[in-house]
Amino acid sequence: MQASARRAKAGGRLSRLGAGMKALVAFLRWAPPKVWASVAVMGLGQMLYRQYAKGLIFLALEAVSVWYFATRGVTDLIGFFTLGTQQEDLWLGIAGDNSMTMLILGIFAFAILGFTAALWIAGIRDAAFTARAVAQGKKPRTFRQTLAALADEKFHVTALCLPLVTVVLFSVLPILFMILIAFTNLGGEIVYPKLADWSLDAWRKLTSVGQLGSTFGKILSWNVVWAISTTLINFLGGLSLALLLNKKNVRFSKFWRAFPVLAYAIPGFISMLGFKFMFSQSGPINSMLVDAGHNSIFFLTNDASAKWWARGIGLFVNAWISIPSIMLMASGILTNISPDLYEASTLDGATPFQQFRKITLPFVLFSTTPVLISQFVGNFNNFGIFFFMRSGVISNYGDYFLASDTDLLINWLYNLSVDNNYYSVGAAISLVIFAITSTLSLAVYVRSAAYKQEDTYQ
Amino acid sequence: MSLQAMRKPHRRGLTLRRAVDNTLTYTALVTMSFVFLFPCLWLILASFSKSGSLYDTRGFFPASYSLQTFAALFTDDVNGLYPYKRWFFNTLYVASMSCVLGTVLVILTGYVMSRFRFKGRDGIKRLTLVLGMFPGFMGMTAIYIIMAQLGLLNQLEALIFLYAGTAPMGYLVQKGYFDTIPFTIHEAARIDGATNLQIFTRITLPLSKPMIVYTALTQFAWPWSDCLLPKLLLKNREQWTVAVGLFSMPETHFSRFAAGSVFIAVPIVILYFCLVKHIVNGLTAGAVKG
Repeated sequence: MQASARRAKAGGRLSRLGAGMKALVAFLRWAPPKVWASVAVMGLGQMLYRQYAKGLIFLALEAVSVWYFATRGVTDLIGFFTLGTQQEDLWLGIAGDNSMTMLILGIFAFAILGFTAALWIAGIRDAAFTARAVAQGKKPRTFRQTLAALADEKFHVTALCLPLVTVVLFSVLPILFMILIAFTNLGGEIVYPKLADWSLDAWRKLTSVGQLGSTFGKILSWNVVWAISTTLINFLGGLSLALLLNKKNVRFSKFWRAFPVLAYAIPGFISMLGFKFMFSQSGPINSMLVDAGHNSIFFLTNDASAKWWARGIGLFVNAWISIPSIMLMASGILTNISPDLYEASTLDGATPFQQFRKITLPFVLFSTTPVLISQFVGNFNNFGIFFFMRSGVISNYGDYFLASDTDLLINWLYNLSVDNNYYSVGAAISLVIFAITSTLSLAVYVRSAAYKQEDTYQ
Repeated sequence: MSLQAMRKPHRRGLTLRRAVDNTLTYTALVTMSFVFLFPCLWLILASFSKSGSLYDTRGFFPASYSLQTFAALFTDDVNGLYPYKRWFFNTLYVASMSCVLGTVLVILTGYVMSRFRFKGRDGIKRLTLVLGMFPGFMGMTAIYIIMAQLGLLNQLEALIFLYAGTAPMGYLVQKGYFDTIPFTIHEAARIDGATNLQIFTRITLPLSKPMIVYTALTQFAWPWSDCLLPKLLLKNREQWTVAVGLFSMPETHFSRFAAGSVFIAVPIVILYFCLVKHIVNGLTAGAVKG
């Protein structure tokens, strides 16, 4: 059943492709010379239709693109594949190639290439649009009409232009870069001025039995435990807090709510650093313990006994920071539950606990499934907690490679790639993190009703 | 008589149960408030401590109080180690600029994704979904190189571009809000001959003040309290933001840390308390729509 559906889908794609080819051939047969002018030189067709301003803009953009590829673009494209051929030679005074910069400039050149192609196609389609209008006896659009169209029927293009460019530059490009880095041997010994190459070294190291591989296994298992337990604690804590504040016999609930909101409003890094000082070796808790005649406890210090203390404190601090936001969200959702449901069930003799299980919990779970997933993913990648509370701790007693026993994968990734230049291994780890979080969330997300019923709300 | 006799024990049982319930509820409430308030109180009192170091305090609360830490925060930068005043204005500049730019970009994205059906919309939706699943700062090395190529290392503007430029990725909450504005308003305006730009500026924007407030707040709070990107991109102490500066303070400067934290947390806490209603709406909108 599923297989046949898939086959039908693939068939649909194929036939759509065929239809596209047919349309393209028809277009090429139909295209008048002025459209062909736009195919040859961007903007020429527009100018032949006396749309000079628009034509000049297209032409100028083509000139910029050609200039870019002539001066450096082509070299960058080649550099993407070679990752550098000339090693720095201080004796002869030869400047060397920097593999990392070449990789990113190569990706950038590909992006510019794609952008130019998109612009070229847009120019041809625009010329064709004008050609059809002229064939119907209309006049070509003036420049002012074009601008007006950008504010009206093409508003979505105008509005999305800038966000798209910034996201591509600051988010897509870096991520692409890191994905590619995972398949080079950059990092460790091989950093500038040494030249890098494409290889699967990082993956071999991660899966081997060496120190790196064993550290990876240990950190991964702790990371999973952490993500599940902290998400559960925060979710249940936030939900019960919301229920508590929602109780009918609570007076001045706005006053009581102010305390968690206070914790929510304080910037997270301040809370985390504050708790670090509270539990530190000379902090107030230890000084009170010493005054009472106990030994001080290694809460967060670099010591084997600190392992479970630090993990527990991490769970507590994360709960302190995140429970308020879940409480706020849950209480917003709770007010959406119709009170009739509770009244009716009370008449039928339901106990408060039954009401919670059969009404409140399903309703809250239904509305928060997407949030629960993003909470889980966020906690899986919760960098801040252990970065702020145990920065600089490398557990050398427990056979960890450049990590501490509380570090999550993301902290290890930071230690490896930002602090210690293990770029390719770090990138491989981020791909593993991505694989885990994305499979999990996609599986739940696609099934969750909130995603399927997108249009029913509108 | 007989009726009353039947009712009485029943009512007594009810009041007893209610009393127990009340006691439990209020015990829970007081415990909860204590847990959330105590660390804040501790930090605030520490900022008024007379001695600066964590080693000098026994127990939680300082022995004697004074205002000198707050004065020293702004006047004495310990030989250029902790120029808090510079940090503060750097942070203010970065946060407000990225707030303005980021809000514009996110609102535009959310609106277009909610109201327009066009080719590539599903592609964009899927792309942001996938991008969001990569670990947050996976591309940090790349960002460092990009900023170096653009000549923006050690410049506050690099941070502004980054915060504002990546903000549209989180458009879903805004989209969820715009989805709740009825389509009919939109259609009526179209029939009256309004262009899409006019509908957006004259109708949608005035209707979505709560969402704009929520967006602006989140876009401000993120740079205000982020530590990682400034730490990566700003190498001069003079150029740091407050978060990096506070992160660098050791235990011997504990009350300086406390004072610096209190000073930067107070405005944002007040802001949150004034806008808590909008925040709840924003959080819930995000919850229902994902």
